[in-house]
Amino acid sequence: MNRSCPKIDKEKKSVSSQDPCFELENVCFAWPGKHPVLDRQSVRIPKGGFILVRGRSGAGKSTLLRLMNRLEEVDAGEIRYQGQAITAMAPARLRQQVAFLQQTPVVPDLSVRQILLSAFAFRINQDKTPPGDEALLAMLDWLDLGRLGLGDSGTALSGGQRQRLCLLRALIIGPEVLLLDEPTSSLDRDSKKKVEQVAVQACRDGKTIVMITHDDFVPDGVCVYEMTIDRGKVTLCQ
Amino acid sequence: MTQGALVISAWELSIAALFVFAVGAISLWARLGLEKGLLVGSVRCVLQLLAMGYVLRFIFGLASAWIVFLIFFIMVGFAARIVKGNVSQQKISFVLPTFLTMLMVYALITAVVTGGIVGATPFWHPQYFIPLAGMVVGNSMTALGLALDRLFSDLRARRDEVEMMLCLGATAAEASAGIFKGALKAGMMPSINALAGVGLVFIPGMMTGQILSGEDPVLAIRYQILVMFMLVASTALTVVIVLGIVRNRCFGSGDQLVV
Repeated sequence: MNRSCPKIDKEKKSVSSQDPCFELENVCFAWPGKHPVLDRQSVRIPKGGFILVRGRSGAGKSTLLRLMNRLEEVDAGEIRYQGQAITAMAPARLRQQVAFLQQTPVVPDLSVRQILLSAFAFRINQDKTPPGDEALLAMLDWLDLGRLGLGDSGTALSGGQRQRLCLLRALIIGPEVLLLDEPTSSLDRDSKKKVEQVAVQACRDGKTIVMITHDDFVPDGVCVYEMTIDRGKVTLCQ
Repeated sequence: MTQGALVISAWELSIAALFVFAVGAISLWARLGLEKGLLVGSVRCVLQLLAMGYVLRFIFGLASAWIVFLIFFIMVGFAARIVKGNVSQQKISFVLPTFLTMLMVYALITAVVTGGIVGATPFWHPQYFIPLAGMVVGNSMTALGLALDRLFSDLRARRDEVEMMLCLGATAAEASAGIFKGALKAGMMPSINALAGVGLVFIPGMMTGQILSGEDPVLAIRYQILVMFMLVASTALTVVIVLGIVRNRCFGSGDQLVV
């Protein structure tokens, strides 16, 4: 860690930062007929940090990210983003600022250009100017996808290429938070490394990254926190 | 030269039943297992139509608006129940909005057709209102079943795609626009095909009935055109409204998919 990072308050099991990105307060959530994924859990996620979410399979890591993005609703308690209850925000506005990358990349049968610019078709992003071809090609190159043409079909891409393309598609609208659901789980070593590098770079650029991982990956040059979910409890440590 | 409908005796009807017996015999011989369904279906067909004939004769004699509207209400109720049975979806309640939309749209369109176009006086005249409403209900019911089933199955099958768009800032309507269009098309396709094929591929039952009963074919055609337009309009309107309401119910307050 090479910069000053907010410390964890061990009593509160939470970060001591005055300016948290996300706050979960007494959050409860259970899938119908199952044990609780979150049982009255409170945690504060520091702004600008790189949070690695760990836990056994089925512990509720993906569910936590889906709750933060409102793809699921809490049963009780409250989730706040930058001090505001996420239920008080327009869902599209929240998701514009808090991007969520699904574990399995979803790439429709469109050209690479159309895939990258798909978010600009939605009303919430219509005041933004989509990048031109030159900028898109530079971005592809940055993610080692320089061999792709903007007119190539997205369905012809490999799993690693699709995941990187989806990451780029999420980054292109400039979110402040990236929720990454095991983005490297099915990737080869090179693709995995590139995705991790891009996530770290995004964090260095000021974005908060919350990433589920089962690997030993430790980001360098950013404030790293580890969040563990087990039997309905969430712990955050440095 | 036209003549009135030739009377069919019970004896002649029983000769027609021989066709069904022949199919049953083939089914028995080839062990197709159709004979029970054929027997039950044929008996039901005869009983239901006989009952309908006597009920209609009775209602026409009464000429009461309340009775006409009550029958219309019951027809729509059964149609909504049949739509529910055809759609495999438990989580989202769609029967009430479907029933209310059907009731309002069908009543409006049937009333415009009987009162405004056909010129029946009063507009609820049972001889016009009940058969025309019956055609509207029957056609739209099938379309609605197809459209709703497609909407639910596509939302489930393409969940990742919908959520991907939501995650990029799409509203529920934007994220499900493609699925909505697909469901609308699935519901409307039979009606649009019928418009294109009528007179070329098939002669519609109502027109056939009018011609057989001695009506001038040109007048029968006018009625048929009216019926075709009425069916397409009521189907389109009902399917669009119901799909819109039900699509909204498939998403929670946070625009999250709840199907």
